[in-house]
Amino acid sequence: MVRYRNLIEALEAAPGDRPFVTAWVNEDGQETVTFAEFRRRARLQAGVLRRQSVNSGDRVIIIMPQGILAMTVFVGAMMLGAVPAFIAYPNDKIEPAKYRFGVAGLTANLNAKVVVIDEEFPDEMLGYVSLGEDTRLIRAGDGGSTGGEEELRNAADQGDGLAFIQHSAGTTGLQKGVALTHASVLRQLEHLAQALKIDTATDRIYSWLPLYHDMGLIACFMLPMAYHVPLVMQSPLDWVMHPETMLQVISEHKCTLAWLPNFAFQFVPRRTRPNRRAQYDLSSVRVLINCSEPVRMSSMQEFQNAFTGTGLKAGALQTSYAMAENVFAVTQSDIDQPTGPSRIWADGKQFRNSHRVVRVEEGSAGSISFTSSGRLLPNHEIRIVSDSGAPLGESQAGEILIKSDCLFGGYYNRTDLTAKAIVDGWYYTGDLGFCAGGELYVVGRKKDIIIVGGENIYPQDIEEIAASHRAVHDGRVIAMGVYNPDLGTEEIIIVAEVESEDVLANTVEVEREIRGQVTAGLGVTIGTVFLKPPKWIVKSTAGKPARSATLEKLQKEHPELNAE
Amino acid sequence: MTEEAKQMIEYILRRIRKPTLAIDENTPLVSSGLVDSMALGEVMLTLEDLTNTRIPPGAVKPKDMDTVAKMFATAQRVGRPRK
Repeated sequence: MVRYRNLIEALEAAPGDRPFVTAWVNEDGQETVTFAEFRRRARLQAGVLRRQSVNSGDRVIIIMPQGILAMTVFVGAMMLGAVPAFIAYPNDKIEPAKYRFGVAGLTANLNAKVVVIDEEFPDEMLGYVSLGEDTRLIRAGDGGSTGGEEELRNAADQGDGLAFIQHSAGTTGLQKGVALTHASVLRQLEHLAQALKIDTATDRIYSWLPLYHDMGLIACFMLPMAYHVPLVMQSPLDWVMHPETMLQVISEHKCTLAWLPNFAFQFVPRRTRPNRRAQYDLSSVRVLINCSEPVRMSSMQEFQNAFTGTGLKAGALQTSYAMAENVFAVTQSDIDQPTGPSRIWADGKQFRNSHRVVRVEEGSAGSISFTSSGRLLPNHEIRIVSDSGAPLGESQAGEILIKSDCLFGGYYNRTDLTAKAIVDGWYYTGDLGFCAGGELYVVGRKKDIIIVGGENIYPQDIEEIAASHRAVHDGRVIAMGVYNPDLGTEEIIIVAEVESEDVLANTVEVEREIRGQVTAGLGVTIGTVFLKPPKWIVKSTAGKPARSATLEKLQKEHPELNAE
Repeated sequence: MTEEAKQMIEYILRRIRKPTLAIDENTPLVSSGLVDSMALGEVMLTLEDLTNTRIPPGAVKPKDMDTVAKMFATAQRVGRPRK
């Protein structure tokens, strides 16, 4: 690839007549803009921002529905050398107070010059967007129709200047602003394009991923922008209400690449009637990347099995380990591996007792399986370390540390958090994993691990067993360790949402069965099983059970759990 | 209440795992948090089955699905006959 100094230069180099973004609503409603048209609209937005006195280095917050307009505002800000950041748009059901909690910290920390909202942004939410004294709120339009595109010098011409801020995953109130330079982003894109063998002439990316998450912003906006690859995009909300449309869009536009979080590999097949599956054509797909950790092979197999008749290639489903702090990807599985990502089986007891991976035959009694997230991208290093920071060898699980040429410089305005996260150039991910055969396997989060009597228990193992009980709603289980002063160690508690409120009339039997199943499966004892009504468990913005927020809620209802 | 609306209410109660909850055609479902966005995809499929229509993507927002009455009104407004 030609080395560009910054992302805007990469955009400017795109062939003007090539399609860039297609915003797909339905078969009768889609808008495609070419690279030339996108640039024109972005310049108009830059002009609007400049008239608001936005200059190089100023932060611009964008709270708009997913679409071409929001993207042109983002790029328009970058054209001025300003630093844009997408923030999630309020959905229809969110309570104003909760929204305030979510955005107030973010907007205050970024101290933006301008907050850009769309024309339909709900008035009742306006009071909850935290604005500093010098922050202006503007509603985005089309930038005017006068054709008055401003002559913009490429203000972002210093590659080491900040390009934008993306927010790391988590519950909204706890998100941290990851500040990224143009140079870091361009290096990441180069590695990614190389690992995925991006072919500008033939590739076409599909996405429903939100732009305020790294998968949506980097893989499905910055990558196609800098590598001049067409993108077909739909709004996350439209997709979640019609998940099957993903298949329709890929078939119609012959998309070749897409990224999905693990849950989507189950969500789509379960919401697509079997008799409709054969009408789709997924033969164009080169790679469909499962990019959330830990990846579950069972989810990928469900997708593969459901859509075998669509021409979906064997080995099209692959994996990656990514995070906002590294711009995006750290690893990528070998896309030419026809059997998909590597998988290994290990002795479960040894793994729990000593964090060691002792390989066993596939499906052996007491075995657990791990799916690889692939090999490191170029110029990436990884270390696996113990709790004391000592480097661990092959097949030993510990915390994953990363060093790379695209690692972030720090959390915006949060030197305290940055100092904790980056030590001697190594970023402490908080994720647990191990290396085997040159590939990385991610097994969970460090802070989630439960230690009982010196034995390390992975909550995911307990949750998988508890969730299989017929009275428990699938996926709505959290296992946690809570310190028990009487025992001098943690004891395991399980919080599980029941399938139906009827179960709560007589919980004794269900609790006994769950305890028995977990003990039989893992050889560990459960302290208490808390059965809760539907929707009791707190979810993260990604829709996953949020461990710490749920524990907090549990401690409020059960003060005895607070004893230290 | 139509037979289809009754069936939809029964389906939703099963889907949200609250069989004893009393809801009627005008009970807020989305705005009250009873039905989340992940469940709306399934509710949409059921609505299409009950009305024998196809509801085009992009034509419906969560607020159009907030009550059972609104769901059927939405299907009537934007639904297309199934091929």
